[in-house]
Amino acid sequence: MSRFAVLPIEMSGGCQCGAVRYHATRFTDNAHLCHCRMCQKAVGNLFAALVGAPKDAVTWTRGTPARFRSSAHVDRGYCRDCGTPLFYDNLEGDRISFTIGSLDEPVRFKPRTHEGIEGRMPWFFELDAINEGHATEFESEDWAAAIKASSRQHPDHDTDVWPAAGEASR
Amino acid sequence: MSAIAGGCQCGAVRFRAEALGRASICHCRMCQKAFGAFFGPLVTAKGLTWTRGEPSRFASSNVVRRGFCDRCGTPLTYEYEGGIEIAIGALDDPELAPPAIQVNPADKLSFFETLHALPWRLPGESAAVDAFVASVESRQHPDRDTETWPPEAQA
Repeated sequence: MSRFAVLPIEMSGGCQCGAVRYHATRFTDNAHLCHCRMCQKAVGNLFAALVGAPKDAVTWTRGTPARFRSSAHVDRGYCRDCGTPLFYDNLEGDRISFTIGSLDEPVRFKPRTHEGIEGRMPWFFELDAINEGHATEFESEDWAAAIKASSRQHPDHDTDVWPAAGEASR
Repeated sequence: MSAIAGGCQCGAVRFRAEALGRASICHCRMCQKAFGAFFGPLVTAKGLTWTRGEPSRFASSNVVRRGFCDRCGTPLTYEYEGGIEIAIGALDDPELAPPAIQVNPADKLSFFETLHALPWRLPGESAAVDAFVASVESRQHPDRDTETWPPEAQA
C-alpha cells in the first residue's frame, strides 16, 4: 500500500534514442530529488529526479530496459542502446520510480521533497544562482543548427515507427 | 597528487583525467533526456584515459556522441570535436566540479529555481524508510580506483 496519493496523470516516456518507451496511466504524488551517492552515480548527476508509478499502471510499449541490480533490493533501469537512466525499481515495492527527465513532459512533475541529504553537494543551493551563459560553445548558432538538423533523439510523444524512415542510415 | 578519477555505478568502466576544465549544467532537452534528469551536469576533462573498460556510445546527433556504461547505464561522457566532457556525478568526487555556468536557458524547467527550497526528508521520519536504507548492501563501485572489481564474493 503506497504512502502517497495517486495522481490522475497519464504519460509516456522513454530513452534518448527511442529504443525503450513506456506508458503509465497514473503516477504517485511523490516527485522528489534524491541526493544519495548511489543515485548520483547511477545517473551521473548531482541528484536523481524521480517520480513513482504503480507497477500495475505501467506498460513497456517499445523495447525492454536493461537492469543493473545496484543492491539486493533495487534494480536501476536504463537503455542498453543509448544509456539513458530510466528508473529505480525497489523489487519488493508496488511502484517503480521513473527518472523525471525521461518522461515526455517532465515539467508536470515538480518535485515535492529532497531525500538523501547525506550526499548533497555543498554548493547545491547555489546552482540556481550561477551565471546563465550565452556565448558558449554550446550556443553558437552553427552548432545549435547542426544539432537540431541531425538530432537522433526520440520526440517527446509516442511514435508508431522509430527511427523515422531514413533515420537508420545516419 | 590526488587523482581525478571516476566511473560508472557498477565499476565496469573507470577513467582518469589529468585536469578538469569549466563545469556547467546544460538545460537543453537533449541533455535532460540523455541523463533522464533536469539538466546535464558536465565538466571538460583534459588528458582523459579509460583505466577499466570503455563506454558504449550513442550518436545523439551528427556532431555529438554520448558515452555510457552498457552494463549499468551510468551516463559518462559528452564527446564533440572540441573535446570530451565528463558527467559530474560519475566523478569519484563530484565536489571537484562545482558548476560555474548554466547553458541553454530556453529549455530550463519552470521549477528549477525553486528546487533549493524543497523540504528535506530526514532520517528518523519514517521507520520503514530507515529500515530499508539500513538493509541496502550496495553493489556500487567505491569512489576510488580498485585493483579488481567486482570483489570475488560478488562476481
